[in-house]
Amino acid sequence: MKESKTITEKIKELEEKANWFSSDEFELDQAKEKYDEAIKLAKELQKDLTELKNEIEVLSEDFSK
Amino acid sequence: MENNCLTPTQFLGILNDTFALQFDSIVIEGEVASFKINQGKWVFFDIKDEESNVSCFMAVWELRMPIEDGMKVVVKGTPKMTKWGKFSFTVSNIKPVGEGSLKKSFELLKKKLEEEGLFNPERKREIPKGLTKIGVISSTQAAGYADFIKILNERWGGLSVKVAHTQVQGLEAPDQIIRALRYFNEHAEVEVIAIIRGGGSMDDLSAFNDERLAREIAASKIPVITGIGHEVDETLADLVADVRASTPSNVAEYLTLDRGAIMTHINYMVNNAGENILRKVNMEKNVQNDKISQIKNVVLTKIANYERELSEKIRLLDALNPEKVLKQGYAILSGDLSLGNVVKITTFKKELKAEIKEINERK
Repeated sequence: MKESKTITEKIKELEEKANWFSSDEFELDQAKEKYDEAIKLAKELQKDLTELKNEIEVLSEDFSK
Repeated sequence: MENNCLTPTQFLGILNDTFALQFDSIVIEGEVASFKINQGKWVFFDIKDEESNVSCFMAVWELRMPIEDGMKVVVKGTPKMTKWGKFSFTVSNIKPVGEGSLKKSFELLKKKLEEEGLFNPERKREIPKGLTKIGVISSTQAAGYADFIKILNERWGGLSVKVAHTQVQGLEAPDQIIRALRYFNEHAEVEVIAIIRGGGSMDDLSAFNDERLAREIAASKIPVITGIGHEVDETLADLVADVRASTPSNVAEYLTLDRGAIMTHINYMVNNAGENILRKVNMEKNVQNDKISQIKNVVLTKIANYERELSEKIRLLDALNPEKVLKQGYAILSGDLSLGNVVKITTFKKELKAEIKEINERK
């Protein structure tokens, strides 16, 4: 089963996708498809970031002894 | 009477048992006098007020902060009669109190640790980026802890935060924090340890000027960040830590990315990509318009050339038009130009017939 990417990996992927638009590899014919992919990934990232919660555990160890 | 007779050892034993039962752990506050260290192992001093003084004894290794005569201190310990019948207060903990004593003790210990190189910048380790596991040492009831958690949750998520609840002020605090540091170093898989305490008086923060705590922080295998008090407060724990943040909130800011800033960055990237497309489309449009314009110019030039050539030809043809010659007064003579023959003479307006009467050669 394919493991889901971390937020950091997704941000890196989005940066690569965004860089394509200002690179020499830019092709107008592919721009629409690439832009749609970037938008999809950006929305996914925003959802991930909003839903991300910290797990806070107060240890049961007694440090007074 | 003889039945109640005790040996001196028995008597002192009973006395010490009674002391232990009645005065399990006494805290006395007073001024230090006659402070001395014997054989590098034992500490003797008196603690006094205006009327009385109590002889105190403790082991050197239990001395956590530099002490000098005249310092105001708090001592914790148990009373004891020695086998020589002398009263002594056996101290398990001592700490300066009052701003003057605290400052003096702080400066002495700071100098000592500084000379040992414990504050050297080259000892400082970087806190790893992209943290996922954080160890926190703080009192979970403290306002500073609440601030830390609030900022941490606002800024980032997905972190595993393990919290060691300890006292963060008072005589017991340094040992509890030391135990928590050891726990994280030995048992917990955390990438950084954050020691947190909100603001307070110099006395409140003095737990963080404890020599053993400072050494434990310096010896931690895991990088340590401190956020103790406010920006202006300086403790020895701050000085030996790998990173000193100004407040508990600042620790949270230091350890985490800001999800708000990341969302802004994401929006910027997407908007920028869209603008790049529009720019490239406009550039392409300009290139095509230039090409159309060039083609149009070539066609128009050619048409103009054709028009000019045609006009020239028309002008030439026009010049050769016989009607135009006749209009100038010339006439066309046609027919057999022999003597006596009738020929046709055409002028601009008339056609004439004439007979040839004479023929002469032109000279």
